[in-house]
Amino acid sequence: MKEQNLQTEIHLNQITFFLNGKQITEDVPAGISTLDWLHAKKQMFGTKCSCNEGDCGACTVVIAYPFEGIITYRAINSCLYPAAKLHGKHLITIEGLGTPENLHPIQQTLLKYHSLQCGYCTPGFVMSLFALLAMNSHPDQETILAALEGNLCRCGTYNSILKAAQELSAKFSPSEIVPEWCRNTEQDLYSFNETDTMFFTKTDIPQQVNCYLFPKTMKQLFDFYAEHPDANFIAGGTDIMVQKNIDRKVFPVLIDITNLPELNRLYLRQDGLHIGSAVTYQQLYESGIVKTDYPVLHKLLAQIASQQIRNLGTLGGNIANASPVGDTLPLLLVLDASLWLQSDLEIRQIPLNDFFVSYRKTALNKGEIIKEIIIPPVKSNSYIKFTKTSKSKSVDISSVITAVKIEYNEDIIINAALALGGVSALPMLSQKFTELLTGKKLSTINIDSVISEVEKEFEPLTDIRGTALYRKKLIQNHILLYFQELQKEEK
Amino acid sequence: MNSAVFHLSGPLHLCGKSHFIADEPPLQGQLYAKFLFSPVAHAQISNLDISAAEKIPGVIKIITADSIPGENQIGTVVKDEPLFPETEIMYVGQPIAMVLAENEYLAELAVKKIVLKYKELPAIFDPEEAYKEKQGYIQERIIARGDVETALKNAPFTLSGKTETSGQEHFYLESQRCLAVPMENSRIILHTATQSTMEVQEIASRILGIPVNDVIIEVPRLGGAFGGKERGATIWACMAALGAFLTQKPVLVKLTRDEDMHLTGKRHPFTSLWKVGFDEHGKILAYDILLLANGGAYTDLSIAILERAMFHSENAYYIPNIKIKGFACKTNLPPNTAFRGFGAPQGIFVIENILAKIAEQLKIDPLEIRLQNAYQNGDKTPYGQEISDCRLTDLFNILAEKTNYLALKQAVEVFNKNNTRFKRGIGIIPVKFGISFTTTLLNQGSALVWVYIDGSVSVSTGGVEMGQELSTKVAIVVAKVLGIPVHQIRVESSNSQRIGNASPTAASTGSDINGNAARIAAEKIKMALTECAVKLLKQKHQLNVSPEDIVFKEGKVFYKENPDACVNFEELVRFAHSERVPLAAYGYYKTPALWFDRDKGSGNPFHYFVWGVALAEVEMDTLLGEHKIIKLTVMHENGQTLNEEIDRGQIEGAIMQGIGWCTMEDLKWNEKGVYLSANPSTYKIPGIRNLPEELEIEMIPSATEEASVFGSKGIGEPPLIYGLSVFFALQAAAKEAKKDAELSFPATPESVLQCLDGLYPIG
Repeated sequence: MKEQNLQTEIHLNQITFFLNGKQITEDVPAGISTLDWLHAKKQMFGTKCSCNEGDCGACTVVIAYPFEGIITYRAINSCLYPAAKLHGKHLITIEGLGTPENLHPIQQTLLKYHSLQCGYCTPGFVMSLFALLAMNSHPDQETILAALEGNLCRCGTYNSILKAAQELSAKFSPSEIVPEWCRNTEQDLYSFNETDTMFFTKTDIPQQVNCYLFPKTMKQLFDFYAEHPDANFIAGGTDIMVQKNIDRKVFPVLIDITNLPELNRLYLRQDGLHIGSAVTYQQLYESGIVKTDYPVLHKLLAQIASQQIRNLGTLGGNIANASPVGDTLPLLLVLDASLWLQSDLEIRQIPLNDFFVSYRKTALNKGEIIKEIIIPPVKSNSYIKFTKTSKSKSVDISSVITAVKIEYNEDIIINAALALGGVSALPMLSQKFTELLTGKKLSTINIDSVISEVEKEFEPLTDIRGTALYRKKLIQNHILLYFQELQKEEK
Repeated sequence: MNSAVFHLSGPLHLCGKSHFIADEPPLQGQLYAKFLFSPVAHAQISNLDISAAEKIPGVIKIITADSIPGENQIGTVVKDEPLFPETEIMYVGQPIAMVLAENEYLAELAVKKIVLKYKELPAIFDPEEAYKEKQGYIQERIIARGDVETALKNAPFTLSGKTETSGQEHFYLESQRCLAVPMENSRIILHTATQSTMEVQEIASRILGIPVNDVIIEVPRLGGAFGGKERGATIWACMAALGAFLTQKPVLVKLTRDEDMHLTGKRHPFTSLWKVGFDEHGKILAYDILLLANGGAYTDLSIAILERAMFHSENAYYIPNIKIKGFACKTNLPPNTAFRGFGAPQGIFVIENILAKIAEQLKIDPLEIRLQNAYQNGDKTPYGQEISDCRLTDLFNILAEKTNYLALKQAVEVFNKNNTRFKRGIGIIPVKFGISFTTTLLNQGSALVWVYIDGSVSVSTGGVEMGQELSTKVAIVVAKVLGIPVHQIRVESSNSQRIGNASPTAASTGSDINGNAARIAAEKIKMALTECAVKLLKQKHQLNVSPEDIVFKEGKVFYKENPDACVNFEELVRFAHSERVPLAAYGYYKTPALWFDRDKGSGNPFHYFVWGVALAEVEMDTLLGEHKIIKLTVMHENGQTLNEEIDRGQIEGAIMQGIGWCTMEDLKWNEKGVYLSANPSTYKIPGIRNLPEELEIEMIPSATEEASVFGSKGIGEPPLIYGLSVFFALQAAAKEAKKDAELSFPATPESVLQCLDGLYPIG
């Protein structure tokens, strides 16, 4: 087995995919981002690099691939997308859409509304709009804003971009947006015959990433890990690729878990919603079950990062990353989420609350991965809410993020949970909140003492996203906000 | 005029086919530069050891101060900035050494092997501290009129205070970069992303010790600049030039986003100490202000920026007794630099803040108090320039009418009465913005126009295209003069071999200066062609007409009374060529009647003023500190615009930058002088969700004698001030929640909750 692997490592570092309608087979250095690959290997410079960390959207490209029976078009940050992932997909870049002599309707409309100035962000906006309009018939204002919030324009042309997008939304349907050469690839994408395993290595000069592996089965995943104990797992890549691009961190081996069917499942069981750890935020957001059974999660998903990041990032990654300000963590904590952790030997289930050990340290053992996240059913007579406070309205990391759950029996609180992120080294449930509320009627609760007791539990730090004092203030005000709403509900 | 003309580079940009420096395949043998940046703000270099780094295979050369063949000096206004420091490090991020290697990865490796030893020195970051220690770039400057001390003493009311505004990161999407390519004869061509071709050319030649004509500057276009590449590009261009000169290979210097944010200069933070005297109607009688600009580690453009702040300290108001003092403080931050508005927003913010305080104290309506103090024609500014063509009162009245001001105010009052968590507020701000470089000598420009044999036209100016659509405007001007369609004209890159000694494209003067120079050149050609047209019309249509009756229109040339008997433009050009008439012309323009005496603090520094007013309505969430902008309405007096849609884009963009500056762009450094919010995940600039829910911009034409090319006015900077209306609206909203709330700058959720402290008492 090992010998065979070595051989493939040398010979099979090629991937096959479509680039702007044409099928190509290419050598792809391990770990290279799609953006760097376009620039360095294809000398295609229409896609721009501005921040190289997924915050500006200048490098937006669109990938198309079969998903749940249709070809789905997604805008992504090409700086965060390992080119290796392109295997079997269609990569659409700005070079593929119109030409100056024959503009695509999106380009035509942007030109008409003077929706560009210096032009550096422009290809990114075009691609974001392309993915939006390819997938939506006549998107509403909110959908448009969601699709474009990940694209920065320092010249500030947003108003005219929005006007252009509104006209595009009104006048065009996906059938007119997706060009024929795109449609022509769709059949091939469905029937794409994937090779067993892909290996990517580069051995001549030291690289940040020397080996990028795509296991197809769980067994293979753990075999790879046994072979490369220094490996890191990568899913959406929205964190690892930032560390690679910006911190210049070295990842000798990356094992990509996104092709594993076991980790891509999203299903409802009696014990709740099971979310495979490679399921993206966007998949969750679009899921009917989430929309109807977990509306608060649905709402939260819309406030995470940008459309490009939501198309890549995963709930599993957010949890494994264990950031104290991870957007989803407080809500998952109050929802009593638990995790299935899998190693080559066993699967174990642990409550999410036990998963976070200390700052960015988790209960994951070496060689263990998160397989699924389980969120128990939400009880009908309950109040569940989250509040995210950050400097910017969108595409920002929280100063403080909290979530609350109150369950009633008649008017008695039988279950109360408050979780907070950004106020300690890890996302955490408040003990006091549960103690002080459980078994009580809302009207008998002394809100001030709840606030001051909860506040005492946490020692927030001062950093660039807020002073300790500010964070304490936010703890108070978030709780106050919840009580105000609860009282309103009661009336 | 010509709203139907679209962005000349638009189709290219939209298809990703427009050319930006370094977004192109690498040249054969091209080397990549990486830098050792100073980790400390102020230090004495004791040792710099590059020996280990040099040994890495693939590392071609390591360049330090010792390698410079010419003068190690990149200062312009004051010669105080070395390319590489020789002994004294002045700010965190200052380049100490440059590694040139075959690829970026190797260059990075080599940088890590360079050993820098230094002795740390005390550093200053606070302008007030610098002022106390007289650490500055010039003597304290002063502009004064009347007797401020007496007027303050006699004023019925006085107030005093300190006002601070923070810096701002440019965040041009295209980072700083330059590709230098060696040529024969020790010459060098710099493909540099600069707003100032002349400065880069001269300073690079100084560094290399070669004549200016051996350095060639080529600027295709910039991916945004906003002032950040007026001076900011010079150092990187010189680095590339030096690298290419010493290795005789192409050298690319290209900063990453994080490098760019960490170590390039920003908008100057200002601290201002002021006293004001006023009467019971809110009329300001006396104003005494000291403006302290945090200049950072080298002079850069700080003196001119301070000067513009001083020139705009009274904003749009006549103040009889006024004393404006200014000091450009030397601190150990990266040298702060030009940023759209160039000091004016900082000066204007202070007086507007004061007006808000006076209005609050006297319970006067914010619009009323501004009308009360607004400039009238015939008034003089503190530096003695007469105000003419001022329609400020009109603009305020139109704004009140358009926004239904009284009803709006009432609705806000009702809303605030009925809501506790959410509070609304209205902010109003006028602008009077002086157009011209206050450094008079910069107010000149050149253009070169060629008409080719087929009637197509090439125009070069000293102006740099950076998204403001200078090229579109220049094309519109030339098209209008020659009576040909815009698409028949190419506006070329900025190149020192075509246009030398070009002033920076800055100070909202780009189209005034370059548009006029192009107009003058085109008019020269037209005059020559007109003579030919007289002959040709006679030959072809047997017409006897005099030159002044010839019309150039829509690609045709004809006698004004008989458009049908015409010749087309191409035909005329061929004829002119056969008649041996020159088909090219050089146009030179200097802005008339400018002068300023810096010692006396008086003169006529501006060609004209741009006027406008804005109103913002916001809703603040007093629990979470967030806000939304319900509406922003602008009345902008705009001369006779060359293209309304271009100007609208400039206004909207400037507003977004103004909003960003005063509500979310939180530029912080630690006690060591390290920028903390130096990446896009911690430094937030406005995105599409920060748009006002309703944004109404009305451009009000004016028939002004003073305006520039074809009656148009500069547009780049003045509208940035409108964005500040949002800050004042937020301040008003905060006061609705808590009477003594004092919102600090910028109005982030943190700042809002801080000023509302105690609003929701606990326990």
